[in-house]
Amino acid sequence: MSQPSPSTDIRRDLVALLPRLRRFAMTLTGDASDADQLVRGAAMRAIQKSHHWKGEGRLENWLFSIMRTIWSDEARKRRKAEPAGTDAGSAPERKKTASAVLSMPEGLASAFLLTDVEGFTCQEAATILGIPADQLAARLCAARLGLSSLNAVTTERRA
Amino acid sequence: MNASQPSPLELRLSAYVDAQTGDGDWHDVEELLVNDPQVRALHDALRHGSEIGRRAFDDMLKEPVPLDLVRSIKNAPLPRRAVRLPQAPRSGFSLKPSGVRTFIACLSLFVLGGAIGYMLGSRPAAPQGRVAIAAPAQAARDWLDDIIAQYRLYARQTNHLTEIPAERAADILEWLTTNTGISFRIPDLQGSGLVFQGARMFSAGGTPAGQLFYRRIDGDADGDVIAITFTKTRPAGNRSLEEIRNETGIVTWVTPLATYMVVGPSSAADLDDIAAKAAGLI
Repeated sequence: MSQPSPSTDIRRDLVALLPRLRRFAMTLTGDASDADQLVRGAAMRAIQKSHHWKGEGRLENWLFSIMRTIWSDEARKRRKAEPAGTDAGSAPERKKTASAVLSMPEGLASAFLLTDVEGFTCQEAATILGIPADQLAARLCAARLGLSSLNAVTTERRA
Repeated sequence: MNASQPSPLELRLSAYVDAQTGDGDWHDVEELLVNDPQVRALHDALRHGSEIGRRAFDDMLKEPVPLDLVRSIKNAPLPRRAVRLPQAPRSGFSLKPSGVRTFIACLSLFVLGGAIGYMLGSRPAAPQGRVAIAAPAQAARDWLDDIIAQYRLYARQTNHLTEIPAERAADILEWLTTNTGISFRIPDLQGSGLVFQGARMFSAGGTPAGQLFYRRIDGDADGDVIAITFTKTRPAGNRSLEEIRNETGIVTWVTPLATYMVVGPSSAADLDDIAAKAAGLI
């Protein structure tokens, strides 16, 4: 996995990481426009707090944590603002537009992306997602099984 | 898609795929894989799922990034930095030595270097050992590292986060006040979405420190843990600081009687707000 070296201008690093930041955001939001909003918000916060970043470890680790925190905060606000059941109608619509990978149950895609694709250890990924390591392992396992069965269904349909 | 909780066997095989299995379990799983075709099929399914997912996520990187997103980041204003005051104009002196001057300067430096080398070479070798021993001491951890290590150790605990739970507030106040020598109140930070969980006491740099734990109300039970810590130890220069160490954010403030710190995950952007509120309430 390529790691951008910490430069004096964090904006350059952020732009270089944009495709990967968007991909992670997609696993949280399941929707491209929400993902772009989330990436924008996280990038602005990272720029404002860039003096905190001392160049230790991977920059993505810090950025992914910021994104997850922002998304959790927004989800909490939405839950407070919307009465229960309001979102039920939008879920199938979201599933239609999102790819099969992103339509996995909440939390599975993020866990899978961080460990199997981004190469974080289970402990690092759990810290980024703010969950215990055993829960991360369960989500990763469920994601792998889900993806495997998804492919089986596709193959059956093609046959 | 299957969203149910994986079975213990599935979890073991998934850990085996990641090479996260312990030595004992590793042999058990390998034996199962050799003898049981169903286990082998499950293992293949996990690996296959992993491969499919990887390919799908790799394809997502090929999607174009919206130009306005790139522009908004490139053009975002950087945070303000310390202003450099204008300095007095320099004199018009310019260094243009002649050949003779250059030769004399080189000769002088050569003689000076030789003299220093001779003096250093004639000294006994004993002090080198002392330097080698002293070096790790200079790089030694400071008391703030102890506080961060303590936070990182307990913030991941779900059942054993605190020594005294929040319900025994009077006990917490008496215990920590007596042992740290700092009188305090337990701040109510529900306005910031933080619920008090309880307290601990530990040693930071050889001095007792009290730690109050709060958890974010996240809807689920896995909210971030934020800690307010206080000790009599003073930071260098008695200055408040705000920094990230080891993926943990820390914001401190100093009063004549104690040093207080708010500690949380590095991604928590509101640590300074929490510190401002806690400073008024503690």
